[in-house]
Parts: sequence; C-alpha cells; structure tokens
Amino acid sequence: MKLTKRSFLAGAIGGAALIGLPFEFTARAAEGGAGGTLVIGSTQVPRHFNGAVQSGIATALPSTQIFASPLRYDDNWNPQPYLAESWDVSKDGLTVTLKLVKNATFHDGKPVTSEDVAFSIMTIKANHPFKTMLAAVESVDTPDPHTAVIKLAHPHPALLLAMSPALMPILPKHIYGDGQDVKSHPANLKPIGSGPYRLTEYKQGDYYTLEKFDKFFIPGRPKLDKIVVRLISDPNALMVSAERGDVHMVPYFTGVRDIERLEKAPNVVVTDKGFAGIGALNWLAFNTKKKPLDDARVRQAIGYAANRDFIVKKLMGGKAMPATGPIAPGSPLEEKNVEQYKFDIAKANKLLDEAGLKPDGNGVRTSLTIDYIPGNDEQQRNVAEYLRSALKRVGINLEVRAAPDFPTWAQRVASFDFDMTMDTVFNWGDPVIGVDRTYLSSNIRKGIIWSNTQQYANPKVDEILGKAAQESSPDKRKALYSEFQKIVVEDAPIFYINATPYHTSFAKGLGNLPTTVWGVASPLDELYWVTPPKN
Amino acid sequence: MSTMESRLAMAQKPVPAVTKVPKAVSPARAALRQFMKSPSGVAGAVLLLVLIAGTIFGPWLHPVDPLDIVGMPFAPPDADALFGTDYLGRDVLAGLIYGGRATLTVGAVAALITIVIGVTVGALAGFFGGWVDALLVKISEFFQVLPPLLFAMVLVTLFGPKLSTITVAIGAVSWTSAARLTRAEFMRLRDLDFIKASRAAGAGNLHLILRVVLPNALPPIIVSATLAIGTAILFEGGLSFLGLGDPNTMSWGLMIGQNRNYVLDAWWAVTFPGAAIFLAVLAVSLVGDGVNDAVNPRLRRR
Repeated sequence: MKLTKRSFLAGAIGGAALIGLPFEFTARAAEGGAGGTLVIGSTQVPRHFNGAVQSGIATALPSTQIFASPLRYDDNWNPQPYLAESWDVSKDGLTVTLKLVKNATFHDGKPVTSEDVAFSIMTIKANHPFKTMLAAVESVDTPDPHTAVIKLAHPHPALLLAMSPALMPILPKHIYGDGQDVKSHPANLKPIGSGPYRLTEYKQGDYYTLEKFDKFFIPGRPKLDKIVVRLISDPNALMVSAERGDVHMVPYFTGVRDIERLEKAPNVVVTDKGFAGIGALNWLAFNTKKKPLDDARVRQAIGYAANRDFIVKKLMGGKAMPATGPIAPGSPLEEKNVEQYKFDIAKANKLLDEAGLKPDGNGVRTSLTIDYIPGNDEQQRNVAEYLRSALKRVGINLEVRAAPDFPTWAQRVASFDFDMTMDTVFNWGDPVIGVDRTYLSSNIRKGIIWSNTQQYANPKVDEILGKAAQESSPDKRKALYSEFQKIVVEDAPIFYINATPYHTSFAKGLGNLPTTVWGVASPLDELYWVTPPKN
Repeated sequence: MSTMESRLAMAQKPVPAVTKVPKAVSPARAALRQFMKSPSGVAGAVLLLVLIAGTIFGPWLHPVDPLDIVGMPFAPPDADALFGTDYLGRDVLAGLIYGGRATLTVGAVAALITIVIGVTVGALAGFFGGWVDALLVKISEFFQVLPPLLFAMVLVTLFGPKLSTITVAIGAVSWTSAARLTRAEFMRLRDLDFIKASRAAGAGNLHLILRVVLPNALPPIIVSATLAIGTAILFEGGLSFLGLGDPNTMSWGLMIGQNRNYVLDAWWAVTFPGAAIFLAVLAVSLVGDGVNDAVNPRLRRR
C-alpha cells in the first residue's frame, strides 16, 4: 500500500516541480474520487490570465479556472447557473436581472457582489476585443449586493452566451477598480478571481500552477487538488508526453497524425467534443474589392473548382468536419441547406467565362496570390498548396505567399494587401459575438485582423444581422440567420472549408470529462480521477 | 559539367612565369590530366554530370508539374508514380527533377556569391594590410561569430522565403572562410619578389590584385569554391527543413522539410530527396578533392 501511494504520487507529479504536498492529499487520493493533480500540456502560452480583456484559447483555459462567470453551459447549449443562481430576461428584452449566489468569495476572502458584476461587465464592454458582444449594454444597476440588473439599449439575446466563463470573467472591483488600465493591470499576471482554482505560480513560458480554492462557492468542488499546466512549445514533444502519461490532458490539437497517434495510445482517450462553443471555422477568404475577385462569379467558380471533399477526407484524413456556411457545424443556428459548391470543374469554367476571364495562349485566365496563417500546416498551408494545384485546372495561376510569422500575415490581411487567404475564425457561441464581425459592412476596419477584411458589403446582410441581433424570439432569430447564411454563401466572400478539428486528449482514469459546448474553456471543477495514474 | 569546366577555365587564366613547369604544358591541361588521375574526382564528376543531366533532360522524359496534385496523398511507389506521391498527392519524381534544378542552382549561385564576396574582402584586406585589413577583418569577424544557420534564418524571415532571398542569404552568411583563405594567400604573396618586380615596373594596385596576385592565389580558392557548392546545397536543405523554403519552387530541401512530419506514412517522400541531396553533396566533395589534387603544383610532377 505504501508503495502504491508513493508511485501514484510520482505519477501525479508528472515531472513538474512540486514539493511538500499536504498529507491529506495522499489520504484522500487513496480513497479515490477526489484530490490528485492533473497535468495539462499545452503549446499555447497565455499573455496573461485575464479573459476580460484578452480573447483566445491560451488565456481562456486558465481564466475560466480562476474567474467565475454569471452563467455556464451544458453540452446542449442550455445556460446553467454559476455565479448567478437565477436570471430573468424582461418581456421587452431590455433588462436582464441576475440573482447572485450569496456564498461566493474571491480568492482573497472578499465576497462577490453585484458591484463586481457591474464593474466587470462595463470593463469588458470597454476593453474586450469583441466590440459587439456587450455593445447593447447601457448600464448595470445594483439594487442590492446580490442582484444585478443589466439595462440594454435594445433586446440582445446574445447576452446569455456572452455571460459564459470564457467571455465574462467576474473581476474583483476592489483590485481592478484602482484606476489602472485593466489591459495592462499587474493583477492580470497575479489574478484574484472567484473560480474553482487559484493561480499559485507562474513561470513565464514554462508552466503555471492552479490550486484548489477551498472556499469555492459550490460545495464539494473542485474535485482536483491541483492543476499544473506545462507549456510545451514543441508539438511533437507534447504528443510524446501525452503518450507516456507525463501530461494527462492536451487540449486544442488538430493534427491528423497526432489525433491518430493518441487514439492508438493505450492510456489515452481522445475526444472532439467541447468545441461547439468556440466554433472554429477554417476557410478561404477573398478580397472582394480586388479585381477580378470583386466579381462574385469568380469567387463562386473558385468554390466549384476546389474539392472540399478531397481536402477534408484526404488532406485532413477524415478527422475534420466539412463546413458549408458562416455558422459552425454544431451550432443550433447552423443552416445546412445552402449552396454546397460541389466540386464541378465545368461549372467553374463556365462562371469564369461569364465573368470575362478568358484563358490566354497558355490557358491562364488570371494570376492571384494566396496567403495562409503560418504554424498550422495541415489546416492552412497544405490547403493553400492544394488550391494552387486545383485552381490551375481552371486556368487560375496561384502563387502561395508564405509569411514567416503570424504578425506578417495579420499585417497583410488587415491592410487588405492580399488576393485571397486561408484563415481560421471562431464563432464564439453566438453570431453576434463571433460571426457578425466578418460580414457587417460597418466592420470594414483597416488594420484590424479578423474584422471584415474581405471588405464584403451587402446592405441586405447588414439589415438581417441587425435585426437578428435584437430578435428575442428564438424561432424568428433562427429564420433570420438561415436567410443570412444562404445569402452569404451565395455571395461567396468566403469559401467555407471545414470546422477546425480540435481534439482534446485525456488520460484514462479521469472522470466527468469536460464535453460541454465550451469544453476546457469552462471550469474544470467536476473533473476527477476515478483511478489515479500509476506510472 | 559546365560549372566544372568554367572552374578549370578559371585556373587557366594567365599564370606568371614563375610557376611555369619546365616543359611548357598549358596549366589547365596539366590540371585536367592530373584530375583524370584521381579516381574519386572522376567518379564525383560523373555523378554530378548525371544529376545535372537529370534535372535538365528529366522534364522531357517525365513531363509532370511538381506542384500539381496527380493522385491520392501518400500513394506508395508504383507504376503510376514511380517514386510515390507526397502528403498532397504530388509526384515525388517530378519533385526530384524540378527540385534538383532549384537546389543545384541555389548551390552554384550561392557558392558564386560566397566566393565573390569572400575573395573581394580577402584580397583587399590581404593586399593592403594596415587599417583596411583591420577594418575588413573586424567586419568578417562580426559575421563569423554569428551562427550561420541562425543568421540565414533571420535574413530569410526578414525578406521573405523566396528562392532568390534564400540564395543571397546563404551567400551572405558563408563568405567569411573564403575571405580568410584569400587574405592569407594575398599576405603570403604580396611581398614575394615577382610582385615587387611588377610594382617596380609600374603596375597599379588594381592590376596587381587582379592580374598578378589573384591568379597565383587561385588554386585554394577554386577548391574552396567547389566545396562551397556542397555547403550551400546543405544550407538550402536546412532552411527548407526548418520551414523557411520557398513554397512556390520545389526543391529537394523543401520536399524533405514539408514531408518530414509524414515520414511514417510515406518514407518515399523524404528518402528520395534525402538521397538526392546526399549524392549531390558527395559528388561535389569528390570533385572538390579531385580539383584540389589537380591544381596543387606539388602533386603535378608526381
């Protein structure tokens, strides 16, 4: 028995520096069910831990453990109580009342009150990159310490999803309200939240340690004592660590070989669940202001000339789901009944002829460039190279422009210096948060990446998106978004290719895997060791 | 063959009377005769010839665009694709043929850049000495202390992964050894009597450097140039391997770099270009050895 405990400990530590574990830890771990350490391996280095002013999965993973949010979600898009034990949207849709739990405290012992909620909402509205997310919020009233009343300029159904852990961390006003700029606040690296874990150590670019917050407001949680996130920049080394069981969980990996490899590993479970909320789409975007791509027929022709089936099944080994429209597969708002752009060379040639792009003596109609985000070859570069070959068949000469690093690519695309580019963009749950930005003509903002860099402008689309953003009836809203999806796919400012095949691996022996729509960008307070690792 | 011939031709340039062997044989012919006596040199030359011929005449025999997707990804070598296909379904044989063109051109041009910069700097430093020497040596030391591969990576990252950039970057980081060699030769030669005699006869500096000292310093430089080709080919491979290849031009290094993640799925996509690079560098080294023997006056009368 003694031996087992010791070897268990060795495994739980998993190579991370960890000394002086409390005795109770081993005792409880031996009972099974509670305690233990989870080692997460990730290539994503967070700039800091404050998800209120920083989007992206690198920050979302720790931020959602450290900060609690008003709501959380189950695996079917249903909001669940979290810091708010109940919520009520008024009939006119103009006020949303949150009743907060009474026993929540921050990691420094101060209670979580409606003041903190009001402060956080206004801070996020002012600082978060997703401008549309809380644009409708006018003010937040705090009639008593446990009631927050959000006043809206117009009905804003996306608000419920905007209250998710990754998007609305509740910040302590007594720390962030000191007048310093929240974006560069020192507390972003030493965060105090009210979530299930508190940050106890961060070695920049190496690892960070989250320890159980004993006074977490949900009794009996979190179940783990400790989460160590090791930042491993080399994806191959990360995969080896996962295979060997040195890390127990790897979130957000997409490589076909990596997926296949970990699926074969005996002590690892791989899942593609938990990414519906992020809704990552991999697509080909056109510069719709540049000739000849300003002609929708040319863009459609490229869609017909590219074989989505080949890309998804062959290049991505069948691990990715094809995407046909602007709303990611898995969202209840996705409209499947849109133009599919089924591979059809003859149709592509016909459209190009109609658009006036006649082949010259060498069969070349036009020459264009294609960019891609460096770093994820399988999702980006390989598809760009495939397109070069595919479009040659319809007389389009494509030059692949490699960017040495992400800023170079982002700079080109954001300043409209591109013909077409591969891109990966997240839906972030509700179209108002992550979809509208790509299509609204008001969001053509030079210099800002992941805005409407396609410079796509269609008054009808603007109108529908405007209406849908304020439509309280779920059915009417769905109908509006269906119409929007049909129009956009027809106009083809973007050729949709696939949903980014994010996968998470877990060590066997873990229970209550995070498979909600937000996956690991949501508190891991239920995750526990059914059978602790033994190696 | 053309590169080698031109190198031999360079060796043939006016050689002053002092080095003349008693029986007046043209130095180039003597060198060639000596070269033919070296079995490894001849083997290298033949191998190099075969590789060059393959890249020149290959497209006629196998007219497939190396960037075109011709089949399923990871198709093993068979009758359709003699050397298999890569991760996109591109023909590996076509890649070898066209990639050889790019790789060998990069090798030759980068070596030329290396030699031109290296010889210029080395000649000026060695010939003039004094503050010119001090300054140029400091500059070349600056380049020497930078790890060449890292420095080349920085250059390619700054100016974009194009084949031309890559070639210039390789030349820019590897000229220092040629400079050191040339400087040493020039310092050795500049005080010899025949140089002094030329100077006394009224020869200007430029004439002395180009027409008098340089021809006498050439033998080791030629050898170094030959070897620089091999280094440049390896450099191109290294840069592409690290993901800094030009995606629009197939090269052997690029093939290895892009396919290395899939080596377990398709060994052929990595192994064949790897073997090609190995053979090319081996051939160039053997030729370099042969040239070394050929232009070394001490071996001539052996």
